[in-house]
Amino acid sequence: MPPTHDPQLLKGVLTLVLLQLLAEHESYGYEVVQRLHGAGLADVMEGTVYPALTRLEREGRVTARLVSSNAGPARKYYRPTPAGLAALAVGTANWASLVEIVGAVLQRPLPTEPIEGT
Amino acid sequence: MSHSIGWIDRLRIERLVWSLDQQLYDLPRRSRISTRREVRENLLTAARDIGTSAALRNVGSSTRLAREYLAAQFGDQLRPSWTVAALFLLIGQLVFTALLGEAALAFGDGIRAADPAVSGTFRWHGIRYLQDTVTYTFVDGSGTSVGGAWTPLAWALWIGATIVVGRLWRVVPMWRHRHDSPGR
Repeated sequence: MPPTHDPQLLKGVLTLVLLQLLAEHESYGYEVVQRLHGAGLADVMEGTVYPALTRLEREGRVTARLVSSNAGPARKYYRPTPAGLAALAVGTANWASLVEIVGAVLQRPLPTEPIEGT
Repeated sequence: MSHSIGWIDRLRIERLVWSLDQQLYDLPRRSRISTRREVRENLLTAARDIGTSAALRNVGSSTRLAREYLAAQFGDQLRPSWTVAALFLLIGQLVFTALLGEAALAFGDGIRAADPAVSGTFRWHGIRYLQDTVTYTFVDGSGTSVGGAWTPLAWALWIGATIVVGRLWRVVPMWRHRHDSPGR
């Protein structure tokens, strides 16, 4: 069974992950969901991803185009804009810094009992 | 594994899309249509991939999805409801007009009840502050009436109530926000 993740934590980094995935490969909504699941984020649902893509589009971080599909109606493919790529670079640096700091704190050995305040 | 999609599956998907669409009336028309198409297309693709039940389960309730889409469009700030405002504008007009009309008719009926063969001119000053004077002219029990229009106060109350019910004052911060962020 895949591990579950804190939804609030996921929501905070979802934008970053979406920009990264779309920078790797232009994708439509359901394909993005499949790629998230393939990356191990199996608890991210479609109902969260589709509006997040809309938000990114409204913010000008991704652009969308319709591509006709053999399987049915045209699909809306997303790719990052230059502003989206810049946001991805900044977000990635911030995330790496946060992981380093939080990781260092969480790696500290714990005392057998919490030290009492003086 | 690919799942085939029958007409029942199509109906189930259309039901969710329709239900979502009904909750997105505050979106600009183009955006609402685009959202509807995209959700339908993604649901169909997911249904072919994992089955209709799983696809619908994964996308969640239409209420939650609509809330997320509205937040995606307008941000998390409080927003006005144009749909509710428009509904109130229409229903308020109908109800208020019916109320004032009935009040004026009651006055005319009262005169006729007192004297079925009445002749003459009668004035009723209307519901105080909300309605202009109504003048009834009777000839042998048959009457016509003029007047009874809404006063400026009635119009102001109607407009004011529409603003309150639709929370239209929230347009101002939204408009400012939009003009402060030209990229959006």
